[in-house]
Amino acid sequence: MIPDHPFLCFITDEIRYPVEQARHALGGGAAMIQLRHKSASGEQLYRWSVEIRDICRKCNAIFMVNDRVDIAIASDADGVHLGQQDLPAAEARKLLGSSKILGVSVSSPQEAVNAENENADYVGFGHIFPTSSKEKYTVPTGPEAIGRIIQAVRIPVVAIGGINQENAHLPIAAGASGIAVIAAISRAEDPEAAAGKLVRLLELNRLR
Amino acid sequence: MKTIQIAAESQTNSADEPSRASLPRLCIVSCGREPDSSGTMLLALMEKLPATMPCIVQIREKQLAAASLLSLSRRVKAMSNASQSLIVLNERIDIAAAAGLAGVHLPESGCPPDKLTPLRHKMLIGKSSHSLESALDADIRGADYLIFGPVFDTPSKRRYGSPQGLDKLEAVCHAVGIPVFAIGGVTTENAQRCLSAGAHGVAALSLFNDNATVSGILYNLEQVLYR
Repeated sequence: MIPDHPFLCFITDEIRYPVEQARHALGGGAAMIQLRHKSASGEQLYRWSVEIRDICRKCNAIFMVNDRVDIAIASDADGVHLGQQDLPAAEARKLLGSSKILGVSVSSPQEAVNAENENADYVGFGHIFPTSSKEKYTVPTGPEAIGRIIQAVRIPVVAIGGINQENAHLPIAAGASGIAVIAAISRAEDPEAAAGKLVRLLELNRLR
Repeated sequence: MKTIQIAAESQTNSADEPSRASLPRLCIVSCGREPDSSGTMLLALMEKLPATMPCIVQIREKQLAAASLLSLSRRVKAMSNASQSLIVLNERIDIAAAAGLAGVHLPESGCPPDKLTPLRHKMLIGKSSHSLESALDADIRGADYLIFGPVFDTPSKRRYGSPQGLDKLEAVCHAVGIPVFAIGGVTTENAQRCLSAGAHGVAALSLFNDNATVSGILYNLEQVLYR
């Protein structure tokens, strides 16, 4: 279910309306949408999830919910993406069953190995470049750190953090299976065009 | 497929109904100020619960991330094994299920209860309500009990306007077929008026804030709620 070629994952921006953002990203060719909204109510998250799930199905894209296993199951999303402060991956897997996709954010090879042992389907690794979307107190890993994660696990590694049109080729060249972005799409003047450019960049690197 | 699922659901519901009527009459809501998953304040409060009076204990610590809520839930559950208390977690049925808790308590704006069937199994689903409409909706969608309020004046809820009052509590209690707990400014003095209005029991948070007075308040409430 996870694409076997470099793919674009779009994570919704907390300060914008998520359904519209998802529509733009999918219009540009994103293969995965992650609904991430920490302050919305459960009912609101459920309604957004159902809407985005439907649009994703039409576009053959994967729909993931951040943190909330309950909302993912209620809305029949394709999976859940967990941070290190969220439910442990093994617990989430028990609730989700084997058919749903489970992604885990990691910041070290050890965390990646743990995620794989707990039946994660992919890991998100970062932040690769300096990023404005989230408060980060650690230094960026740089694209070269991706290799150490890839060597540690067999599951796909998705690069995240400060990725944009100027640097998107670097994590792919370093072996990442995909890239995840927020601001590069959500805060672009034309979000759909920005997503389209990133997708074309990924395709270009695939052909190389 | 759909028909089978609905039949199975209604069967579970009817099997659950006797337990609804036998729910404890006191719901204690945690203070929301636990700094971490150790649950020091809640565990100290639970130590004071009399064995004679089972309660619903709602863990409501929105400031904690899911991993901490899971640890806290497991800790509180381990503590509750001796008593008959039912431990429920606010909002997150996924974490409640992972911790093996008795149930979940959904805020009024929480995920609709009927959408949580795949995670529910035998768990109780409670729902907060601040209007007759949302109370009826929660009942139709399969909630097991309601917490309705604020019934009386309470400092923490003043910014939402005037309290609902006993008349609205009575209207909700008569309109729904599930137990209703009155919340908001409930004291040992006015708890009886909630029961007279048709409430199954009462729920409170700040009433139990002072550890020195908890035992006395619990004793007095037991006299009112289980008379």
